Amino acid sequence: MTNKSNNGFNTWQKSFEKETKKNFSDAKSETDEGIDIKPVYTKDDLENFSFVENNSLPGQWPYTRGPKASMYTNRPWTIRQYAGFSTAEESNEFYKKNLESGQKGLSVAFDLPTHRGYDSDDDLVMGDVGKAGVAIDTVEDMKILFNNIPLDQMSVSMTMNGAVLPVLASFIVAGEEQGVDKSLLSGTIQNDILKEFMVRNTYIYPPEPSMKIVADIIEFTSKEMPKFNSISISGYHMQEAGADNVLELAYTLADGMEYVRAAMSKGLDVDDFAPRLSFFFAIGTDFFMEIAKLRAARTLWAKIMKNFGAENERSLILRTHCQTSGVSLTEKDPYNNIIRTSYEALSAILGGTQSLHTNSFDEAIALPTDESARIARNTQLILQNETGVTKTVDPLAGSYFVENLTEELSKKAWDIITEIEELGGMTKAVKAGIPKLKIEESATKKQAKVDSGSRVVVGVNKYKNPKEPSVDVRVIDNNRVRDDQIKKIQVIKKSRDTKAVEKALTNLTNAAKDETNLLIPCIEAIKLRATVGEVSKALEQVYGRHFAKSLSVSGVYGKHFEGDEEFMKVESKIKEFENVNGRRPRVLVVKMGQDGHDRGAKIVATSFADMGFDVDMGPLFQSPKDVAKDAIENDVHAIGVSTLAAGHKTLVPELMKGLKEIDPKSKIIVFVGGIIPEQDYEFLYENNVSAIFGPGSNIIESAEKVIDLISDNLSKE
Amino acid sequence: MELVDKIIKGERAAIAKAITLVESSKDTDQQISRELISELIKKPGKSIRVGFSGPPGVGKSTFIESFGSYLVSQNYKLGILAIDPSSQITGGSILGDKTRMVEISKNPNTFIRSTPSRGTLGGISMGTREASIILDAAGYDFIFIETVGVGQSEIVASNLVDIFTLIVGPGSGDELQGIKKGITEYADIFIVNKNDGELKMEASKTAADYKSALSYYKKLDELEKQVLLVSAIEQTGMEEVIKTINQIIDQNKLKGIFDKRRADQLEYWIEEEVKNIIASDITKRLTSKGNIPKYSEKVMKNEMSMYEAVETITKDTLKQ
Repeated sequence: MTNKSNNGFNTWQKSFEKETKKNFSDAKSETDEGIDIKPVYTKDDLENFSFVENNSLPGQWPYTRGPKASMYTNRPWTIRQYAGFSTAEESNEFYKKNLESGQKGLSVAFDLPTHRGYDSDDDLVMGDVGKAGVAIDTVEDMKILFNNIPLDQMSVSMTMNGAVLPVLASFIVAGEEQGVDKSLLSGTIQNDILKEFMVRNTYIYPPEPSMKIVADIIEFTSKEMPKFNSISISGYHMQEAGADNVLELAYTLADGMEYVRAAMSKGLDVDDFAPRLSFFFAIGTDFFMEIAKLRAARTLWAKIMKNFGAENERSLILRTHCQTSGVSLTEKDPYNNIIRTSYEALSAILGGTQSLHTNSFDEAIALPTDESARIARNTQLILQNETGVTKTVDPLAGSYFVENLTEELSKKAWDIITEIEELGGMTKAVKAGIPKLKIEESATKKQAKVDSGSRVVVGVNKYKNPKEPSVDVRVIDNNRVRDDQIKKIQVIKKSRDTKAVEKALTNLTNAAKDETNLLIPCIEAIKLRATVGEVSKALEQVYGRHFAKSLSVSGVYGKHFEGDEEFMKVESKIKEFENVNGRRPRVLVVKMGQDGHDRGAKIVATSFADMGFDVDMGPLFQSPKDVAKDAIENDVHAIGVSTLAAGHKTLVPELMKGLKEIDPKSKIIVFVGGIIPEQDYEFLYENNVSAIFGPGSNIIESAEKVIDLISDNLSKE
Repeated sequence: MELVDKIIKGERAAIAKAITLVESSKDTDQQISRELISELIKKPGKSIRVGFSGPPGVGKSTFIESFGSYLVSQNYKLGILAIDPSSQITGGSILGDKTRMVEISKNPNTFIRSTPSRGTLGGISMGTREASIILDAAGYDFIFIETVGVGQSEIVASNLVDIFTLIVGPGSGDELQGIKKGITEYADIFIVNKNDGELKMEASKTAADYKSALSYYKKLDELEKQVLLVSAIEQTGMEEVIKTINQIIDQNKLKGIFDKRRADQLEYWIEEEVKNIIASDITKRLTSKGNIPKYSEKVMKNEMSMYEAVETITKDTLKQ
């Protein structure tokens, strides 16, 4: 540092301290990632970098500035909105409308039964058919989904991990029957099973066979489908589950390394498949952090791939899709979500994403309507056409702050990646449950910050709207969808060659016992009109179904509330309760149906326990009947149902029925939390639900309400 | 008592309420639960009580899921009392055991109850003993009592069951030297779990180590300690476990060990309970008389020795 600049800085520091009445050295703010943000950055902060290279250019090593030289100056990012609901017919209509309005690529959301490899007629999936995505039972559904959408011209992204084999096979066969050879199909299949074990829970088989399936798909697509991305390595769901940006970045890249190893173990050369690996990140509200994350991701991946011996430049380049954060959306004052999504979108663009999904403002409540989907899409169209952000590549390069943040994030992520490698890679870490636990810890911390008010969420814990607007939502009649799907399955089962299907399924089961690439026998079975459920069961015979162990953090939430009045009030109410009733209030927290998003349930469990409740955790994917048995055997006072996939209208009444069947005099009260449209409140109350907590509910207030409800209920005896 | 009939009929909600009563710290609940237990012991069932313990991470719940599934598939009725270790000293507990018992928890022939351990003696209490009396009267063939293996708790747990099982993982053979005589004495069966995949060799070796170490501990009259290899994930070795349990029970019944154990256990619990009552009574007297602060002040001022203080306080406290 020269004397001159030093003098200048000293003068600045004095002015700063005078203005703020704070020591400069204390004037830092810590991010969720544990990075200290200084009030000012200077040229000195660009020194001693070990990851970021100061004078690099876009499209050049280490690709911090973007995968391509020209970036958006040549072609803007792809507007790719994730959508799907109800039947294939309805989703197809919705897609066609969107394409006419300026959307460029498709991104298919499947319903939970499809994800978990169940047909719509399976009893286990009663409440979930067509709810959080489109139901696909056979190739006929897939054909309807892409009716009048030419698959040789449209790039299609499919979020599918558990039932990846039958779904990709259906896509290939649908293309073939449309007259499009598989070599011409373009798009992406998510095929990222490791993060399912960590956060999203839509897996079917145990980790090892699941990894074999991933490798099979990479092998097949690298040989037969040159325009198709074999995997989308996803950090998105980690951030949604509460991971901070360092965890998201590190675990995503560590997952990527595991997939590279899996593919190489099939004898593939790294350059044969690496150019077709793609990524998927979440973009939350921490504006600069998100930009730095995308830049750091590219920097680190280039280094990782070089270490794997990649020689083809395209193998070194990380290409990514991004989606604005769903968990940042609030049910309260929902129009704020449009603004949040806009800033997040800008972050993703300044970070250099290749494609983007912007959430609709009503997604904290329900599936988007035509109107809210239009606003979401226009958010991107305005960025592309009106703001001028496409005119220069990586405009924040050279920013003292952003470059430094990129370096800091890279360093922290690299440390975690190194730790995972020392453990023996991500499959082992996942089996041990380590990443899941770290993410839950991070999620609980974030929630505690919001509930304690140390993090402001406008319209939720500050600046509340005295007159909450009511919002129209899309309503899916899942019973009708289910009936339609069941009819279609019956027709197909009657008209197909049953013997041939059975033989194809046996072949598939046999193939799972050796090293055969499973996609090939899968395509054969799907062609003959085997269903997604049948194909999944054929493999289940060999692999079994996976059940996750559930670990829980404790003490993390309560730590943020030492000395907090509200918190202590609930604590003392619980102590009082224990004195009166001879035991603590006991609550069973459950997920029902095929919805595996358990962040909310976990946070409620750990924070309620920290306040003094005894909390029973049910396993994932329980039926209402199982929940009733569990609740009664443990003589709980209340059941808390967490629902994010819209199945509550079927599942909650079933639970009530289940309780009464075992114990006609059951006094167990039921409360519901999660994504519940206001329009459903009345229905739930009519079905004897005692309380409903939407997204953004303050947990301490909710806990107080629950203990009050339990006490009231007991005093009625 | 209406509750008694309902329990004997096997009504789920009644069994659950009864367990709540015996676990309750409320005086009136305790009163009712005493009457209840006196009624129930007049109508004993035929349950065999099996204890499962072991260090965290060896897959106890997964084993119980796997073994339990096997038992219910053989038409046995199974009650499980899981003492959940994950409780905190302050705050409540997260009872997550059932997340690892997915299949058996659905089965109509099971009853699964988790109890927070509250940090004392691995959570075993009179309540656990009485809960097993309730399940016995309700007609369950087997009652499993699952505890986490922390020191003293195994010994307490072994005083609740007819057969005590320690679950260990591969590689734990090295710890054998450190195993206290207590545990080897109390455990009847050692189950080496995770006999699968990469760990198979290690598991076999561990089992062999246990066998050779345990041969020194054979008690007169009792069967040799059994060491079994299982894989909870692959559900192998389960038939062997039930066969061994039945064998030991039959043998013990034949030799009178079965009844002798139950009698010894009863003595243990009576002694414990009497001690508890006396201790809490003495504590109350100590506090009410305020002798401790009074005499400790004297000792501080060198007016009397500590020994003299202790003697004086003891005499005064025991005085009627």
